[in-house]
This record gives sequence, C-alpha cells and structure tokens, in this order.
Amino acid sequence: MITITINDREIKLEKPVSVLEAARSAGIKIPTLCYHEQLERYGGCRLCLVEVEKMPRLQTACTLMVADGMVVRTETEQIADVRRGILEFLLINHPLDCPYCDKAGECDLQDLVEKYGPGKGRFKEKKRKVPESLQDPVIVRNMDRCIMCTRCVRMCEGLQGASAIAVINRGGHSHIEPFSSGRFDCEYCGNCVSVCPVGAIMSRLHRHSYRPWQVKEQYETVCPYCGVGCTVVTQVRDDVIKRVIPKLGSTVNNGMLCSRGRFGYEFVGSKDRLSVPLIRKNGALAEATWEEAITLVAKKLGNIKSTYGSDAVAGMASPRCTNEDNYVLQKFLRVAVGTNNVDTTARTGFAGAQSFIENIFGQGATANIISGLANSDTVMVIGGDPTTVNPILGLQIRACARRGGQVMTVGEFEGLRIFSPTKLLPRQFTETFLLEGIVTALREKKGLSGANAPLEGKIKSINVTAADVAAKSGVSEKQLAAYVDLLAAATTFSIVIGKETVQSIGGSYKLLLLAAITYLANGRVYLLSEKANEQGALDMGCAPDMLPGYRPVAYPEFTKKYGAVWHAELSEKPGLNLFEMIEAAEKGTLRAMYVMGENPVCNIPNSGRVEKAFKNLDFLIVQDIFLTETAKLADVVLPALGWGEKDGTFTNMERRIQRVKKSVQREGMEDWKIVAEIAKNMGYRMDYTKAEEVFHEIAKVSPLYRDLSYEDIEKGENIYPYKGEPLRDVKEDIQIDTSAVSAAAGKLYLKVERPLFHSGTMSTHAASLMNIYPHAVARIGAGRAKMLSLTEGDVVTVRSKAGALSLFIAIEKAGDDLSVTISNNFESKGAFRLADYTLDQVTKAPCIDAVEISIEKVTA
Amino acid sequence: MFSSAAKQEIEDIRTKYPNARAALLPTIYVAQREFGWLSSEAYDAVADLLNVPKATVRGVATFYAMYKQKPMGRHLIQLCTNVSCMILGAERLVDFLKITYGVEPGGVSPDGRFSLVIMECIGACGTAPAMLVNDDFHDNLTEKKLQEILEKYT
Ligand code: SF4
Ligand code: SF4
Ligand code: SF4
Ligand code: FES
Ligand code: FES
Repeated sequence: MITITINDREIKLEKPVSVLEAARSAGIKIPTLCYHEQLERYGGCRLCLVEVEKMPRLQTACTLMVADGMVVRTETEQIADVRRGILEFLLINHPLDCPYCDKAGECDLQDLVEKYGPGKGRFKEKKRKVPESLQDPVIVRNMDRCIMCTRCVRMCEGLQGASAIAVINRGGHSHIEPFSSGRFDCEYCGNCVSVCPVGAIMSRLHRHSYRPWQVKEQYETVCPYCGVGCTVVTQVRDDVIKRVIPKLGSTVNNGMLCSRGRFGYEFVGSKDRLSVPLIRKNGALAEATWEEAITLVAKKLGNIKSTYGSDAVAGMASPRCTNEDNYVLQKFLRVAVGTNNVDTTARTGFAGAQSFIENIFGQGATANIISGLANSDTVMVIGGDPTTVNPILGLQIRACARRGGQVMTVGEFEGLRIFSPTKLLPRQFTETFLLEGIVTALREKKGLSGANAPLEGKIKSINVTAADVAAKSGVSEKQLAAYVDLLAAATTFSIVIGKETVQSIGGSYKLLLLAAITYLANGRVYLLSEKANEQGALDMGCAPDMLPGYRPVAYPEFTKKYGAVWHAELSEKPGLNLFEMIEAAEKGTLRAMYVMGENPVCNIPNSGRVEKAFKNLDFLIVQDIFLTETAKLADVVLPALGWGEKDGTFTNMERRIQRVKKSVQREGMEDWKIVAEIAKNMGYRMDYTKAEEVFHEIAKVSPLYRDLSYEDIEKGENIYPYKGEPLRDVKEDIQIDTSAVSAAAGKLYLKVERPLFHSGTMSTHAASLMNIYPHAVARIGAGRAKMLSLTEGDVVTVRSKAGALSLFIAIEKAGDDLSVTISNNFESKGAFRLADYTLDQVTKAPCIDAVEISIEKVTA
Repeated sequence: MFSSAAKQEIEDIRTKYPNARAALLPTIYVAQREFGWLSSEAYDAVADLLNVPKATVRGVATFYAMYKQKPMGRHLIQLCTNVSCMILGAERLVDFLKITYGVEPGGVSPDGRFSLVIMECIGACGTAPAMLVNDDFHDNLTEKKLQEILEKYT
C-alpha cells in the first residue's frame, strides 16, 4: 500500500501509478494535453506540472510515479503562472480560428485556455501559416493548429502499428506527416483523429457539417462490417448519422476502429437505397405497394409449394442481418413453407471450417477472446491478412509482437510485415507438404499426450521429413527447424486461420494439419470472419441441417421439440446447402428462392453460373437495402430497413452477443417484420411487435441462448457459453479431403483480395471508402507486369474458364509473379466472376485457389 | 536501391547497434552519400533495408540540419554570415556568389556545381569571414580569394 498526499488529502493506492492517475482516481483535476490514457507517456506539453515536496523543480504529473509519503500540490500560485505561460506559448502560432474549426466545442486547447489561460497573448510576430490539406481521402489536416503533443504519432505507431506519420522537421517548423504516401502506410483508421486534442487532424466526413453540441442523440451499437463486432457510437442529428466514433473502454475494441467502422457508415443514408417494393411486370421491375408485393409473394410461394412441394422453395439468410432477422427467416422456411432449404454465405468458408475444427476440439473451440491474441506468446497466421480482414483483431497480433511475442506466418501478409520476422514462403500449392513437415517435426519434439485419440490417430499417420519439405516447397530444412523450435517453445499459442486456407484445394486436410499443430502446441484457434453476423446466422439455424442452437434436423427428438414451440410439424429431411441450391436451380427442381440481405450473384464463386441458375427459377424474391446484382434478377424486390435503422443483436466471432441499435428513423420494415407479414399471408401467424420479442423466443428455443434477455446482454452476460457449459464435446471420426493440385509452369492464378477498405459490396455505397478505393483493379507483380509490358492504369481483360473481366492494372512492387489479385467488392467486377470452383468434400467450401487465368491488354 | 557495397556497409553498421532504429543515423548518412540527397527513393531504400517504417526514417532525418533534404550541387559551400563574418564582408561574398556562379543561399547553381548554405558561426570568428567547401575549411576570405578557391572545385 502506497500513501501519498495531494492537496492535503491522503490517497491510498494499491499499485504504483503516476501522480496524475492517483489524482484523477481521487477526483482531483490536473490539466493535460499530451497525456492520453491509451498511449505511452510522453511528458511533452508540461501542462500537468505539479509541486512535489523535497523535489527542487515542478514535476510532470503524467510521468512521475507515486512514492510512499509523497506530498503533492496541484493548485498553487506558481503552478497557475506556469500553466498560463505554457498556454500562451502554445498560442504563439495557433491560428485561433475556433469560429471556423470543427473541433470547437470538444477541443482540449480551447477548454484549457478558457479555464487556465491568459486572456491575451503578448506576441506580436506573424504566425506560422500552413494551408489546410485535403490530400487524404478521409482526413483533413490543419497543421497550423497542431500543438505537437505527438498523441497522433504515438497512436499510429504504438497502437495502430501503421507508423504512417511522424514529426517532420524541428522546432517551430515541425509538423505531422505524411499519412498517404503508399498504399499500406496510412490505413485510414482515423484513430489519430480520436486522440488529437485540437483541430489539427479531423475527419473529412463531418467537415463543416455540424457542431459537437448539435449532436442530440448518440447510440452505442455494433459496427456493421466484420466479425470482430467493434462497439461504435453513432452520433445523430435530424435522423442523419453525422459521425461514428469508438468508445474508450469498450470490451472488443477499446477505443480503436478501422477505416470501415469509422468512415463506412454513409451507406445508411445513401441515395441508392431502395424504398418501395418492386414487382417485375412485362420484364421490368416496377414500383408497387407493399400490399401488392406481399400478397404476390405469399400467393406464388403457396402455389409453388402446393404444386411442387415445400422442397421446391429455398431461402438464403444473411451474415449482415441481425439474429432476429435470420431466426425469423429460417422459421418461416421451416414452418410456413415446410423446408430445411436454408443457408448463408457463411457456407463459403467460415461455417465448414468452424464445424470441422469444433468436431475435433469440441463445440466452442473457435470461440476465443480476441484480446487474448495480444497476450499470447506465439501467434501463427495463415490464409489471410488479419489486418485487412478483421483489422481490430489484426491490431491484437501487432500488439503481441510489440510485447515481445513471436508472430509467425505462412505466407506474406503486408499488414504484418514489420511485425513478423518469422515467415515461411512455400512454393505455390505446396503448403500442405510444409504443414505436414511441421506436424511431423513438432510431434517428434513434443510427443503425444493421449488426450485426443481421434486426432492423435491422424497425427501419427503423418510422416514427412524436412528434406522432403525442402525439395517440394522450397522451405529449407534450417528454416523449418527454426519455425518448429518456436512452435515447440510456445507456452500460450494461438493460430489465426483465414479463408484462403479454407477455400483451397485440400482445405479440410490443411485444417486438420493446423488443428494438429494447435493441439501439439497446446493452443487456440481463431477463424477470421468477414461479415458482422456470420456466427449469428449459424447460431440461428440458418443451415440446412441444423435448427437454432445447432440441433440436427435429422433427430426427431429435436424436430418434435422445436415443432411444439412453433406449433408446426417440421421436416426431418436435411435441406439443400448453398451450392446444392444452385445445382437444383440449374436442374429446375428448385423453383423459388427467398434471398434476404445477401447478394449471391456476387458473393458465391462462379458468379456467372449463379446468375444463370437464378434466371432459371420460376420465382425469385430479393429483400435488400440496395438493388444488388441479384435483386436486378428478382421477380419481387422488397426494401428492408438496414443497419442503423433497426434494433436487434449480432453475435461476433468470439461468440459475444451484442446489441445493435436503431440510430435513425426511416420508413419501412425490418427484415423479420417483412418475413412475418408474408408468413401471415400464407396462413402462419408470427405476431412479433418488436425485435426484442423475437429474441425472447430465440432464448426460449435455442439451448445456446437459453433464457438470455436484452438486459443480460447490456449487462455484459453475453459471451459464450452464455449460461453454463458448452453443449457437446463429441470427437467424431475425422473426415478429410486430400485433393491436391500442382502448379503448372508459367501459369497465372487468381487470388482474391480481401481489402481493408471494403467489405462485401455494402461498402461501395459508402462515399468515403469509395474515395480511398474507388474501383476494381487487377493487381499484378512488377516482374509479371514487365513481362506482359503492362503499366499502371492499363486496361486489361482477365479471363478464366468461368468468365472474363475488364479491369485496370495496378502494379505491386512486392507482388509475386504467379498470381493476379482481384477483390470481390465491386458489382459485376468481382473476382468471383472468374472463380470456377470444386467443393471440398468435407467442409463443403468452394476451392478457388487454382483458377487459371490469362491477361491481355486492351488496346484503345 | 542500394549498391551491394552500400548494403554490406549498412549491414556492418547494423551489427554495431542493438536494434534497427538505433542504426538509423549512420544508415541515413550512407543513403545520402549513395543517392546524393535524401530523395523519396533514398528513404524507401533505408526503410526497406532496416525494416523501419518510412515515416519514422523521415522523422529522424528531418530533425537534423546536416542531412540533405533536396538535391545538392556537386560541392557544398557552407558560408558563415554571423556577426564577425558579417562585419568583415560576408554579405558581399554572398552577392559575389550569386553574380559569379548564380547560386543563392539554400540553392544550387544552374550548372549543378555548387550548393550554398548559410551558416551561423562556424567557430572561426578570429579569421572571419570563413566557409567550408565540402569538408575543407577556408578563412580570411575576400571575393578574389573566394574565386581562386572555388575554381579548384569543378
Ligand atoms: S489514420 Fe490511422 S494509420 Fe493513418 S495516420 Fe492516423 S492512426 Fe495512422
Ligand atoms: S496533430 Fe494533433 S495529435 Fe498530432 S501532434 Fe498535433 S495536436 Fe497532437
Ligand atoms: S474491425 Fe471489423 S468490426 Fe471493427 S471497426 Fe473494423 S470492420 Fe468494424
Ligand atoms: S500531460 Fe503531462 S506533460 Fe503533457
Ligand atoms: S561569425 Fe562567422 S565564424 Fe563566427
């Protein structure tokens, strides 16, 4: 116990903290500027100076640690003088353009000068002038307002890990630069914006559009983009989201956001939003009333059901919709239609990988706390750049490296480059040999414990020598041994697996090998999750073989039980999965589809095939917030309320259930509400009046969400296993698909880019993200570009067996010469147009890593 | 890109320091010598080789006055115009350089031969006016002497 005295008050402290923290804990205010609770201490602004007995000079409270018996004073004549002086100096060059500055009202400098500063400065010299810079897409810089506290630099380097900015020059000429000099330098997370105490770095999105004090309401909700599920606060004025900011202390992202989360909200009020139902009349979509649309859908589905049977209808749920929406859709299909034909795009990777890993380690094995990565001593990354797919999770990996942990990758991930000195770069299509080699060597080093017999059985059968690995993959014996040594030395090990691994040929075998490494190194698995509610959609039973809470439809005891709650008889026949739906549509056995909040024509590989299959349907219903590629094919388009306009819950990749809140009022219906209306028209009543009632029912039927309420969630009782133990711990016999391919010399292969600035196609409706990444490009390594005599900005046709795209070329200095990288975010320009696939027999994920392509310059 | 000799030199430097950041100053010095000045390519080369972010490299380099942030002439004239030198005619020398070689303070002569940097006292007040040309020291300057000296630097 440490006792100190501040302003004659005795303060007792458990652990040593700074004088500033001690004072604040006792409610004593000390002004600060360069101090920020998230950042490393700096002691640069001197505003926090205090008097300490027996110390000759004033001390900076933010850096001085308490010592037993210390006597501190924070409000003396001398201190007041010094503060006045410091503030006067800070204003020498400050433009004092508060009336025009967007920071006014929440500016630390303004507040401090008002409270402690001199009324007037004595300096008559000309002020330094730096023009406002609009060079960066989402950030506006006014460097003449900068007070050199370096909070932004400490944020960018220390927490964000981008190191995109630094103090340039010296003394009065100093300023902060350069933000955007290269593609990966500035990640446009805007976290520097959060910590800048003045108006020197600000968001361009709300430039001159409102004042902080005009914010009337704000809501704590969840980011709509990826599976991390960051807490965001929406600030609203006149039913428009004016700004999205993070919240200090929030569990998942503690005051940090990525570019999508902070700047990607403009889709909410986009002028492209659908607002009236559309019905196809004489070949074209025409506006209709809700009543027309709903009766038409109910009638058509009813007809198809009675003519061709319930299984001629299928539905697609959405990883972007809330749990409540997804629950109601699957219930509608199972009850009102009578089929188990329901699935989501989680099927393209996440779902299969998760059930594969959890079959080995038990349910919930992939539900791990994201911040645990920073506390691991070793993190292995494979199959995707976490800093772009799940950026805030990526930060935890960077934090691990910064704390002295080992970050080791298989493959090159730009966002981890300066953080992971240890990486293995196997030749194309030889990753499996490499992983087999790692498993073999690691088993020899660590031995088997006998804990998991089915997995050990598999591990024992793997025998690949380091020499073999070297010959096949090009990874030397020495490199391999060093890598395995690190794995063997790990005490808290985590492995992060991205979609590229799952979506590769032999993906399930690779997953087995990665599970083996995890097991041998005694670690945990994290599966990257691209969309906000992928996990929730699965939990809600949006899968052809599982009822909510992962109860198999094939077991009568479950179908009976759920049927009793839903007052219906349920089918015990597992339905069609995503890919089977497409096949069935091609064959004509599937007649109608209900697509909610999903754009399968873009988001399922081999888009051309999907498009054709959808055209073959008798009746297509698309419910969305935009007229997507899929919606354009529909017979009926139903406009839904989107994120920011409705209440509900999302379940993130940690399996944390979080409340999504309505921030703005918009006319229309939530997805669940529309579905319920249609059900009612088909003779099945679903009388929910609000999302919370849907959740009550979920909590009643799903053993996973048992007895949970919105209040529990708000209180933080929201992490898996929610109440009690995980459901089951079966170690089934492990099936794997060992398909393999080998690289053909000279061939070019398609690689799918998973960019930081986009997510699905939704982000292409956010103007600011479009400013950063405006159109689809084909990225190609500098070497290959030279060979093909291509230069930046050339227009090319990229062709595969499945299709062709016309794209601009972007040349990557560090890119490899074997692949062309294309994102799947721009409608009709997505990589999936080219991606012919085979399915992994076990995970049912499409394998799209061996798509051969050719590239050809288009001459104007 | 660095020449392989320069790369080797930097690797040797690197071994003398506990981490890459600590090796920045001497490495930037090598880059400046190799590239002539600290161009964007020079910063890239240092950042890539040491695996230190480019912004950090630039932040460090711009703190110091002796690194060259813009292209320089083949020879660098550092002429003092502080009090003693000024009293003894340094300002005239500045004019002379402008007229004779077309080089202004902070600039480069049109033929790329000289760069001129004005210094604040180089510690030669007793024999002022004084200057440095590259690493060579010259004092007691007059216009005539200045020209004689500079003619040796082609
Ligand atoms: S936006 Fe993010 S990456 Fe860019 S300078 Fe600011 S903190 Fe760094
Ligand atoms: S830009 Fe803002 S945060 Fe950065 S040093 Fe200047 S005042 Fe501080
Ligand atoms: S990391 Fe994911 S959840 Fe968090 S702000 Fe970014 S996109 Fe949103
Ligand atoms: S807050 Fe302590 S020195 Fe700036
Ligand atoms: S004033 Fe010129 S050398 Fe001192």
